[in-house]
Amino acid sequence: MKALTKNLMLFAVFFFMGAIVFRYSLSDFIESRSFNLIWLIAVIYFFFNFFIGWFFGKRDYESIPLNDIGFRFHFITYFLFNVVSVLWFSFGFNSHFESIRIVYITALFWGIGLLIHFIFYLIERKNSINGLNKEDIFE
Amino acid sequence: MNESNQLSELLSAWEETYKKGQLTLWIFLSLKDGKKYVDEIKSFVEEQSNYTMTCESQSLYRNLRKYQHVGVVDFESGEGNKGPERKYYYLTKLGQMLLNSFIERNINLFFNERIRNLINKEV
Repeated sequence: MKALTKNLMLFAVFFFMGAIVFRYSLSDFIESRSFNLIWLIAVIYFFFNFFIGWFFGKRDYESIPLNDIGFRFHFITYFLFNVVSVLWFSFGFNSHFESIRIVYITALFWGIGLLIHFIFYLIERKNSINGLNKEDIFE
Repeated sequence: MNESNQLSELLSAWEETYKKGQLTLWIFLSLKDGKKYVDEIKSFVEEQSNYTMTCESQSLYRNLRKYQHVGVVDFESGEGNKGPERKYYYLTKLGQMLLNSFIERNINLFFNERIRNLINKEV
């Protein structure tokens, strides 16, 4: 199964850029203790991710309807967000009020969610041939 | 509702259900006939089915992408008619075996003598 599709890669590029902008804004606003702006950037970030996920996910499904119950998009989101976060701290771009512990705790709990998603994906894969749902291949 | 209208409606309803799932067979038959690009597949399906089957090019592309993904169809690029290169689709070896097996198990039934006689028998 070809997992890295064109639309998934485009999603990853947009998500990566969004994650950097979010990280930069978050650290900046925490440093300046602008709590209202933290809420604002978090909400904007949520809707941005929702939109790119919806847009590229829909295009991806229309191109080839892989039966992965969204796992590939979830995995790439998890991977990129945590890589950006860890690198952010490694390069010392974080605010003085931020702790990398929060990043690790988030990765841990999110990782548990991702693992559960993976189990459901493995179950769903039994109904697939080369990643396509058996009922969707022939129309 | 008079008998003629009822017959027409029942026939349409039956045909609608019957045609579901037939597009794959028609596409595969068109490719068994030889390599074709999408417009040629569309023409083949519509003409050979006496226009009882119609299909949009977008729908054909979508289906061909799926068949290619599972390895039963592939394509090669060829020259277009004064335009960009065309994708000429063909059945892979797996695709040919799949079509032959499908025909053997599901289509050839209609050619056994008893069923053929029943089809031709006047009621």
